Parts: sequence; structure tokens; C-alpha cells
Amino acid sequence: MVQRLAQTAKIGIGLWMAGVAIATFLVVPQYEGLGDAGRIVIVHVPTAWVSVVAFTISAIFSGLYLWRRRERDDHIAVAAAEAGLLFTLLATITGMIFSQVAWGIFWNWDPRQTSIFVLLLIYAALFALRAAIDDIDRRRQLSAVYSLFAFVTMPFLFFIAPRIADSTLHPNCAFIQGSNCDGVFLEVDKVGLIGDQKVQLLGLERKGNLLVAEVKVSTPGLQQEAILYPSLDLVDGGMADRPEFPGSRFRLGLEEYDEATGAVRLNMEAPGTNLLENRRTLYVFLAANIGFTALLFWMLQVRSLVLDLQWAIAQRGRVTYG
Amino acid sequence: MDNAAIFVATAAVLSVWIAIFVYLWRIDTTARMLQRELQREREQAETALPKAEVNRVRSTDVADESVERRS
Repeated sequence: MVQRLAQTAKIGIGLWMAGVAIATFLVVPQYEGLGDAGRIVIVHVPTAWVSVVAFTISAIFSGLYLWRRRERDDHIAVAAAEAGLLFTLLATITGMIFSQVAWGIFWNWDPRQTSIFVLLLIYAALFALRAAIDDIDRRRQLSAVYSLFAFVTMPFLFFIAPRIADSTLHPNCAFIQGSNCDGVFLEVDKVGLIGDQKVQLLGLERKGNLLVAEVKVSTPGLQQEAILYPSLDLVDGGMADRPEFPGSRFRLGLEEYDEATGAVRLNMEAPGTNLLENRRTLYVFLAANIGFTALLFWMLQVRSLVLDLQWAIAQRGRVTYG
Repeated sequence: MDNAAIFVATAAVLSVWIAIFVYLWRIDTTARMLQRELQREREQAETALPKAEVNRVRSTDVADESVERRS
């Protein structure tokens, strides 16, 4: 009975994920500024989420192994770490494709990219450690301890580091309102940072109902400089002209004017920001999260079973006592 | 992306997913078969082996006193 239910659930995962794949292309609409490339978020975020779940499972079973010393716990911990590494790699690759479309470059050492790269190195080292130790008990023991330490770094690298960074292009606003979504308040001649772009407010000019800002924008490393003229409609308070940053699809917006101080708020409009406000996108996104999580558990079950079998075959013929 | 291109992309992604699904399904089935086989082998080995059970061991200071066994 249980066996039949498990088989049905696996077929369900297959159909569910096929449905998600179809919906990603045929149900999810295009995003302004990103076009069809924006659909990659349906895979990118769930793979990152699933890797967090996998690393958590790995840490839990590593702790259980240290407590109970059962080889089954070690097998589940290893299977989860492998799955976590695989999904982190997928999240990195899909993120690189997204960044090529949105930022015009595959890799620019953005805080989010740097932190996920460090996480990849930390978990890749776990497998290097396991491969370097011959004694099976010592290997299991040390890798369980290492896995627990690696897990401590995971929340910091995944959630905290990219959000406390002053400068990131990652569209956190799509999911969580972060400090980088608030833009910068600048007075004339002051310099600020939006994303990884240096901005300097050179002047303000009133043209009818519009307030036009003259802003000098410098890309990272000061490779490119441009003067942009975003404007604000003073009557309805909405943004008027929103010019693109040089070499990317991000737009510079003039969001607010404080008459008392003469300061304006400049902000970056990242393509993909607030994309989950679209209901169809949101539902497909949630379905993808559920599907990838279920897939992770199936993969864990299969991989840990294979490791159990390898162990059982290695033990075959040996006399055991107790 | 025009209509034809989006259907081609959907078909490509579906093909990749079906390949992954079939691969995982086959590994799962084979692994469970192997598990059952190993289980059966272990059970057969257990029934085939002669059994001797140490029922009682008397601790004694007398060196030549034998241990009582029941098989």
C-alpha cells in the first residue's frame, strides 16, 4: 500500500513538473524590460530555495550521525549535500543567464554572486574532504562535523550578506523589501551609490511641470560614464523620463523631491522587480517551488538508497557480531 | 519570442524533464530491486547457516570445567 502510494507520488511529481514547464512558457507573461528571459526566475529562485532545504537536511542528519552513529544518517547527509550543491550550481547558472540579460554581463562579482560562489566552494570542499580520508568511520565523523560548520555559514551567505551589502544589483525587491530598493537621497553635487553604479547629482532644473535632474553615472571601475536626465512630474508626483544606465537594462528614476532641503531621491528600477505582483507568475512560481521541493525529496530517497546499497554490498560476506 | 519559437522552447524543456524523470525512475526501480535481492540473500544466508547459541556461561575458578552449551 505504502509502496503504491510512493509510486503514485513519483508519477505526480513528473506530471506536476511537466505542468510547471509548460506554464513557464505558455502561462507566465513577459516582463517589461526582460522579455522572455524573465521566465528564468521560475527556475532560478526555486533551485536556490531547494538548495537551502537540502543543506539544512544535510546538517540535521550530520548531527544525527554524530549522535547515533548510524551509517543511514551519514548517507542521507551526503545525499542532501550533493543535491544542495547541484541545485546551488543550477541557481548560479540560471542567475548568470539572468544577469547577462539584465545587467549585460554574466558575472560581475555582485555580493549575491560572490556569496553563492563562496557557498559552492565551501560545500565542494566537503566532498574533497570525504575523498581524502580512507578510514570510513573517520571520514563520516569528520564530514559530519564539517557539514555542521558549513551549515552555519549558509544562512549568512544566502540571506544576510547580499542584503547588508550597500551595493547589489540583485532584485531583492521582487521578494523582500530591502534597503537597496529605497534609492538614495542626494543634494546637488553630492555623490551616492545605487546598485553598483556611482551617481552624482550635478543639478536640478524646472521645466514646466517637470523637475529634471542632471545626474552623472559611473559604472563599476569607472569604465563608463554618462550624464542622464531623469525627471519627475511635480503635479502628479510620478516619474516622467527614466533613462537607462549605460550598458544595462536598469533605469534611473527620480522618485521624490524635498523642497525644504532641495534633495531628490534617485532610484534604480531593476527589470524583474515586483514581477510576482502578477497573479499568473506568482502561482506558477509557487507551483515550481512545490515541485522542486518534492523532486529534492525523491532525489534524496534514491541517492541515499544507492549509498545504502553500496555499503551493504561492501559489507557482504563479512562476519558481523552483535 | 514568436509563437513557433515558444512552442519549440517548451518542447525542448519538456524533453529534458522527461529524460531526467525516466533516468531517476529507472535508478529508483533498479535500486529497490537490488535492495530486495540483498534482503532475500541475507535471509537465505541466515536460514542456511548452522546455529549454535551460547545459552549459559558459568564463571568459575576451576580451569578444566567445561562450558555448558545447547544447540
